[in-house]
Amino acid sequence: MLSNEHTKTTIDRNNFTITFRRSFEAPREQVFEAWTQPEHIKHWWDPSGVPLSECVVDLRPGGAFKFTNKDSAHSPPFAGVYKMIEPPSKLVFEALGSLGTVQLESTNGSTDMTVSIRCGSAEHLEQFLKLGVHEGTALTLDNLVRYVGKSRQQVAS
Amino acid sequence: MQTPTQLNLAFAALADPTRRAILARLAQGEATVTELAKPFGLRQPTISKHLHVLEDAGLIRQSRDAQSRPRHLVVGGPLKEVDAWLRPFREQWEGRFNNLDSYLKKISKK
Repeated sequence: MLSNEHTKTTIDRNNFTITFRRSFEAPREQVFEAWTQPEHIKHWWDPSGVPLSECVVDLRPGGAFKFTNKDSAHSPPFAGVYKMIEPPSKLVFEALGSLGTVQLESTNGSTDMTVSIRCGSAEHLEQFLKLGVHEGTALTLDNLVRYVGKSRQQVAS
Repeated sequence: MQTPTQLNLAFAALADPTRRAILARLAQGEATVTELAKPFGLRQPTISKHLHVLEDAGLIRQSRDAQSRPRHLVVGGPLKEVDAWLRPFREQWEGRFNNLDSYLKKISKK
């Protein structure tokens, strides 16, 4: 379990799945729209915060999507096909050979979001993760403690 | 991480919650098998089995000097590399979700 103050990340090596959990102070209808409408997607998709240069969405099962960022020379577009669209709670898509599932749950006007990315195999998981690698990073023991911190809490409880 | 095999060993070792908990305990300082067995309510052979998996993955080591042979975490070992390997990916998605959070706040004000 890895976490910063907002996003919790888990890796299930047995299912080749990475899962992110996060809460938003917004109704889930709004979060679902943010995930599925290009005029919304383009404003938040790129991690740098720069709006996408192109965002094409064909929102139906089997429909394609393609999110291209301004710096597309350095990172390829995020492109795939929608598999399941169940507003406002579930969205399933295939992208970069992986299956992405977005699940939204309402809790008192805010939304608990779970995003899981499932790869076909351990090797694929590795390759998929490598796509996100920009540069090597030197790490400290703090990261390690944070990495295993969740397990420690489980033992204590 | 030098080879996929090493990475696989490290991930296989990390997949088990008891082994992650053992690592968490060792992150606070070395411990003997007896000391490790106690908080988990596991028998020593079971703990030893977990320790072997962690040792094979290069995540922990036995101290040779003391008779009790306490285990310690390998600092700068595979765990560090696993984290280094995951970090950019994690940061990418975290950045994305931070944007989504700000964006949702922005549009809800309108």
